[in-house]
Amino acid sequence: MSALASTGGGADAAGAAPAAAADAAPGGRLVDQFERGLDAPICLTWELTYACNLACVHCLSSSGRRDPRELSTAECKAVIDELERMQVFYVNVGGGEPTVRRDFWELVDYAVAHRVGVKFSTNGSRIDDERARWIAASDYVDVQISLDGATAEVNDRVRGPGSYATAMRALGRLAAAGASAPKLSVVVTRENVGQLDGFKAIADAHGAQLRLTRLRPSGRGADVWDELHPTAAQQRQLYEWLLAHGEQVLTGDSFFHLAAYGRSLPGLNLCGAGRVVCLIDPVGDVYACPFAIHDQFLAGNVRDRGGFAGVWRESELFARLRAPQGGGACGSCGFYDSCRGGCMAAKFFTGLPLDGPDPECALGHGETLLARRDRSTPPPRPSADHSRRRPARRGPAAPPERACDEDPIAAFLRREGVRR
Amino acid sequence: MTFDLDRRWRLSEQVALRPEPFGALAYDFGTRRLSFLKSRALLALVEALGAHPSAREAARAVGVAGGELDRCRQALAVLAATGMIRAQAAP
Amino acid sequence: MAEPTIDTGCALACAEPDRAAEATAHSPAAEPLVEDELLVEDVSIDGMCGVY
Repeated sequence: MSALASTGGGADAAGAAPAAAADAAPGGRLVDQFERGLDAPICLTWELTYACNLACVHCLSSSGRRDPRELSTAECKAVIDELERMQVFYVNVGGGEPTVRRDFWELVDYAVAHRVGVKFSTNGSRIDDERARWIAASDYVDVQISLDGATAEVNDRVRGPGSYATAMRALGRLAAAGASAPKLSVVVTRENVGQLDGFKAIADAHGAQLRLTRLRPSGRGADVWDELHPTAAQQRQLYEWLLAHGEQVLTGDSFFHLAAYGRSLPGLNLCGAGRVVCLIDPVGDVYACPFAIHDQFLAGNVRDRGGFAGVWRESELFARLRAPQGGGACGSCGFYDSCRGGCMAAKFFTGLPLDGPDPECALGHGETLLARRDRSTPPPRPSADHSRRRPARRGPAAPPERACDEDPIAAFLRREGVRR
Repeated sequence: MTFDLDRRWRLSEQVALRPEPFGALAYDFGTRRLSFLKSRALLALVEALGAHPSAREAARAVGVAGGELDRCRQALAVLAATGMIRAQAAP
Repeated sequence: MAEPTIDTGCALACAEPDRAAEATAHSPAAEPLVEDELLVEDVSIDGMCGVY
């Protein structure tokens, strides 16, 4: 799996011209091919920093404060070199807020120069006109702006005061610079599921492509999942809306558990964790996926002797994930073939067994199981928490500590500014 | 089935091809689309395209014939439709 | 990255059927295909779960 040439002639482990007769089972469902994993990820998420100027209530990585053990610029470049050798096609760079790293733009450049496509996920706070033009000029860099409400009222309850304005400003600058199809990425919640047409309108107005993703009970998301995850009726509504919009709206394959409703949505429709994707975190820890930041899903660290490739290929955790998974309690369900038991992280962080239904199982089996769960044993919590402070419970915005907290940039600079 | 086997074809410059046990992954850096080539024979054929004056000759060179060639031909049509392979002017 | 991007509104997930000179767009829906028989399947690079 180390073909360096992009076309023909690449040496591969099996040798020169494979005999046609040696095909195991040509064709067949991708799900069946991939459950065993690959020698390299297809794409992956790379959180560059835990630092963030915002404090979104549902942050999957519990970000806020930089971790002093963050990978250095040189270490990041070494990881990129590995990704190039492994032919990882695409990296989704996030955080925290990745643009707060001083070497961020340099690293993006480096990745692109080394044939790794980059999408970076940002709250937009550092997308000025010059950066918007830079992004517009880069054919191989995609930008994704996060937004969780089609109005400031809905958005800012989750992402903080001023965050809607910041995101819209960034979208406007990108549009003005002629950026080709920035992504507008939304985490669907009980409070914004009624705004799907509104999100589409914002995306269309800015030449952006809408992306709807699933709220998972990960990171700080665990604290708000009960009140924010869509109801069963809303989930059905979301599914119908997604079907109607087809490939125009991206989902990051977030909703493969909804295939049990009937038709599957576009995408691979399987859990990619440890099989086709994984997470590299700011300190080099490699997790099965960004929604599973917990020791239970920690495969190794890029600073280990074998580097990232060694972790991907040899970690025990990934070998376990790539072994054939029985359906467990879901095995007898006629829909298991479509939904594959849903999201591992969603089950884990709601305290459900991994070999049973997803908490949002389309047939309601997860809801039933959750209701019966013993509340005296709390679900697992991530071992690390980089939050700056636990954000105030939502509802009317908590009164700011001081007037300048209204401006998330000011708050961030006040905390980090001395060194900059 | 209208894929023209008698043209010269080649893989687009924007496509990265990664052999896999089941066949190959092909990623188009321009369109951000990922294709799964689900047979090693198809991979061999795609890799050989640029080196032969026609797709038919490439198939002969890598030993793809009969029913398998038909299936590969369908696949080549899809790859052409998404721009992953491009028809070349006759030499 | 060698070649300039072809301008097709590339980031959108739709195929450009007229890109190749002679080939006609192959529409899977037009023939009764058994899923097993199709040797190529394509998906958006964003079609994999576990990428935020």
